[in-house]
Amino acid sequence: MTNLCTNFIHVGQIHVDRGSTSISTVLGSCVAVCLYDKKLCIGGMNHYLLPFWNGNGLQSLKFGNISTPKLIEAMLEQGSNIGNIEAKIFGGASIYFLNSNQNIMVGEKNILVAKEILNDYKIKIVAEDLGGTLGRKIQLNVQNGKVLLKYTAKSDF
Amino acid sequence: MQNEEQKEILENEVKFLSKKILDLNKKLIESKKAETLFLSLIANNFNNPMTAILGMLPHLKIQDDAKNEKIFATIRQEALSLDFKIQNLITVAEIESGNSQNSYSLTDIQKIVNEIIQDLRYVIDEKKSKIEINNLLKSRIIIDSKKVYTILKNLIANGCMYAPDDATLFVELSIENSALKILVKNRGTLPKVNSKPEVFTRFSQKIDNSHGLGVGLSIVRELCENLCGSVDYDAENNFVTFKVLLPLNKTVQDSEACGWDEFLFESFDNAIEI
Repeated sequence: MTNLCTNFIHVGQIHVDRGSTSISTVLGSCVAVCLYDKKLCIGGMNHYLLPFWNGNGLQSLKFGNISTPKLIEAMLEQGSNIGNIEAKIFGGASIYFLNSNQNIMVGEKNILVAKEILNDYKIKIVAEDLGGTLGRKIQLNVQNGKVLLKYTAKSDF
Repeated sequence: MQNEEQKEILENEVKFLSKKILDLNKKLIESKKAETLFLSLIANNFNNPMTAILGMLPHLKIQDDAKNEKIFATIRQEALSLDFKIQNLITVAEIESGNSQNSYSLTDIQKIVNEIIQDLRYVIDEKKSKIEINNLLKSRIIIDSKKVYTILKNLIANGCMYAPDDATLFVELSIENSALKILVKNRGTLPKVNSKPEVFTRFSQKIDNSHGLGVGLSIVRELCENLCGSVDYDAENNFVTFKVLLPLNKTVQDSEACGWDEFLFESFDNAIEI
């Protein structure tokens, strides 16, 4: 599976694909929503940093409440039917900064936003690996919808 | 035990408040939908005609008439000004659609500044601005040249537009703690805002009419954050200084970065399959 052509996504990006390819990313307190249409074998992933766009600045995809609906729309544009899409969600670790006051439960809020939005769209979450204190590397195989997950050392993200 | 209970109460509180924020945000996004659609329409529909106008302008034959020459110069200036605004709206549309990917290459920042000064000649001449560049960079650096161009162009354009005539704009380029530091300082004042983020907010209602719409600075902030950097400003003694910091470590130019993004993925041995 790791030999598949991999599309790496950074914070604030989404990628939707089909065929023999994979989508991968590295997560800390960020969350990635992986969507898979098992009928058409279309896979998509986002990677967002913060839960909410608060009206300041642009509506970029680094915000969960902007990025996740955009990912769903991108899947629908590819021909997916909402009823055939299932979700796997990853990330949302509690990353403690040097100054512990900066830890404002970003990971938890990111997780909550993913779950709420998927629930709004009635997309079933079939698997998840969330929270904790370690980062994650994930790779979504677009051929079969399986996700490879490995925990990272703290210095990796 | 008591700590555990307190933690659970806190977590529940955060969940409750986060749901509230999410609901309020839905309404906010809904109310801004028209703006977003408008921006994306402009980006798509205005760009091609503008490109055609800019392409044809140099081929127009000017009659030997000083009046015509002046009209021609005005049309050219207005076309360049409009094109700059359209390019900014296209950048906004790209950012908001997620099509703004980073592309790193070995870049000569001085060349970028020179190109910007050339492209903004119409504003610089109109305002009779002088530009002083203090380039402390000893060599080329690996960075996203297109994004740096857009960041610098907006800061320099603002610096000229919102300064008095005949003013001098100072641009300083240096390295500070493994980051590219860009300072753009001009004489002038900033719009009166309650908090700094309002200056970087597009179409902010609170910004007075004598300043822009906030589109340029909202782009600057977003592009800086895309490059893992930051932008901030200080205003004192009738001078405004914008400071941009763009980290340079961990960047590899794309042409030499065969698979660099995947270096963390060399091995998925013992990975969990979900």
